[in-house]
Amino acid sequence: MSISNTSFKESLSVLLIDDTALDLKLLQKMLTEASAKFSLVKTAKSLKETFKTLKESHFDVAILDLNLPDSHGIETLVKLNEKFPFLAIVVNTGVYEDDLGIQTMSLGAQDFIVKGKYQAYGLVKSIYYAKERKRIEDELLNAYNRLQETQNQLVQAEKMNVIGQLASGIAHEVKNPLATILFGAAYLNEKNYAQDEKIQLTLKSIIESANRANTIIKDLLDFASISKIHRENVSLNQLIEKSLELIEYAIKKNKIRVVKSFENDLPQLQVDYNRMEQVIVNLVLNAVQAMPNGGTLGLKTSSKTVTKAEYQNNGFFPVGSQIVFVEVEDEGPGIPESKLSKVFDPFYTTKRAMGGVGLGLSVAKNIIEMHAGRINLVNKEPKGVRATLALKTEDGEKKSPNYR
Amino acid sequence: MERKKVLIIDDEKNFTQVFKLNLEDLGEYEVWTENNSHRGLTVVREFKPDIIFLDVAMPGLEGPDILNQIKGEGLLKKTAVVFFTATVTPDEVHAQHGFIGGHPFLAKDCSVHEIVNCIKRSLNNLAPVNNF
Repeated sequence: MSISNTSFKESLSVLLIDDTALDLKLLQKMLTEASAKFSLVKTAKSLKETFKTLKESHFDVAILDLNLPDSHGIETLVKLNEKFPFLAIVVNTGVYEDDLGIQTMSLGAQDFIVKGKYQAYGLVKSIYYAKERKRIEDELLNAYNRLQETQNQLVQAEKMNVIGQLASGIAHEVKNPLATILFGAAYLNEKNYAQDEKIQLTLKSIIESANRANTIIKDLLDFASISKIHRENVSLNQLIEKSLELIEYAIKKNKIRVVKSFENDLPQLQVDYNRMEQVIVNLVLNAVQAMPNGGTLGLKTSSKTVTKAEYQNNGFFPVGSQIVFVEVEDEGPGIPESKLSKVFDPFYTTKRAMGGVGLGLSVAKNIIEMHAGRINLVNKEPKGVRATLALKTEDGEKKSPNYR
Repeated sequence: MERKKVLIIDDEKNFTQVFKLNLEDLGEYEVWTENNSHRGLTVVREFKPDIIFLDVAMPGLEGPDILNQIKGEGLLKKTAVVFFTATVTPDEVHAQHGFIGGHPFLAKDCSVHEIVNCIKRSLNNLAPVNNF
């Protein structure tokens, strides 16, 4: 993404904030006299009115008097900037406050002007410069965040690459002896003395242990081979239906009621089908296993376009990107808050006794991160866990319906 | 019924030994083992197997090299080849629909039962028309 040029020809919308009627009049007059055209000029006389007006319509620039009936000094600027981070603010101070004016520049103001010291020309110039500075600031921030995101992905990919090489090396070395053990045990199992109870028990232990070791190796290989993803057009709703079919048995066994709420017009995603299926299966199985005595499992898909405010809140997906969400909810006991930060760590498991290796969620997280998406797990009220996936569609545009 | 001839070429001596024991116990197969990849072709000429289980990663010659040698001598008309390896994951097998270069492949952690099935299927395929 590059920083775009501007022609200064755009007509801007301006909010004038001042509790003195005369000052407002003066400002309005200057704007009407200016050769520049403003698409919208409104006024507000208090911070409360300011917030209300800003919620109703979009403004590019605000001319702000810091001293209002319901807020004073720097505080006024800080509050406004916090609530409307994408508004360019020009502080309009009284003549004895020009030292304060300089201070405001480090607190989010784009410019400061001193009442009585400027004329229409100066005011208009300040408005346009403020808008322009703000725009470039935002674009830089956006570009910086993307850069960091890309860098994280690269580091992650490199890490997975190293683990992958290590894992497949180990897997090959270990699987051969394991296969020998299994075939050896299978052979002995066919012999007459295998009828002996103690020998039978020993053989059973050997076979079970070898099988278990094999499973761990397989999981490790799965974990490691995530650095290779093959993206294709995928309809997530369909993928989820297929995933549910795969684990129908577990769902029925635990007497789980599945409640689906799918968005009909869910945009297509460009993802690795098998990997994404693995993630869904994993999340749903976790939910099923959290309810051994039955319960309701919620599955929801939705989508939305990231707004400026949301971007400012979490800063992960760029403004305007289209995000698809998947939520998996159970009614189980939840995860102790102290353990919540650990659930994505490799080899962390609460199901060691049931044969869990602790790679499920860390694999899921890796897969989602390789897709530049997000996964998180929270406890919900009054009980249970909600797992949420967030994945960005390709360039935010809807893809042709080339369904898989 | 004449016993089918099975050859396994794999550098893991322990593995080939238990492989042979298991299959020969079934009574339907005669199994030869070869642990030296460079001797692979010679053994194929000598033993004339019905089916070859071929390890992929071996010191010296690798599985595909040996396959090329066998092919080069026109020995594939009467012999089925199965790749037999520890390096693949079930995912990879699945992605290739269980075949690599026209030959089935099995992960080494399969059961004796799966091996027998694979032999039967491969020999059936080989019997009617096959002009590799």
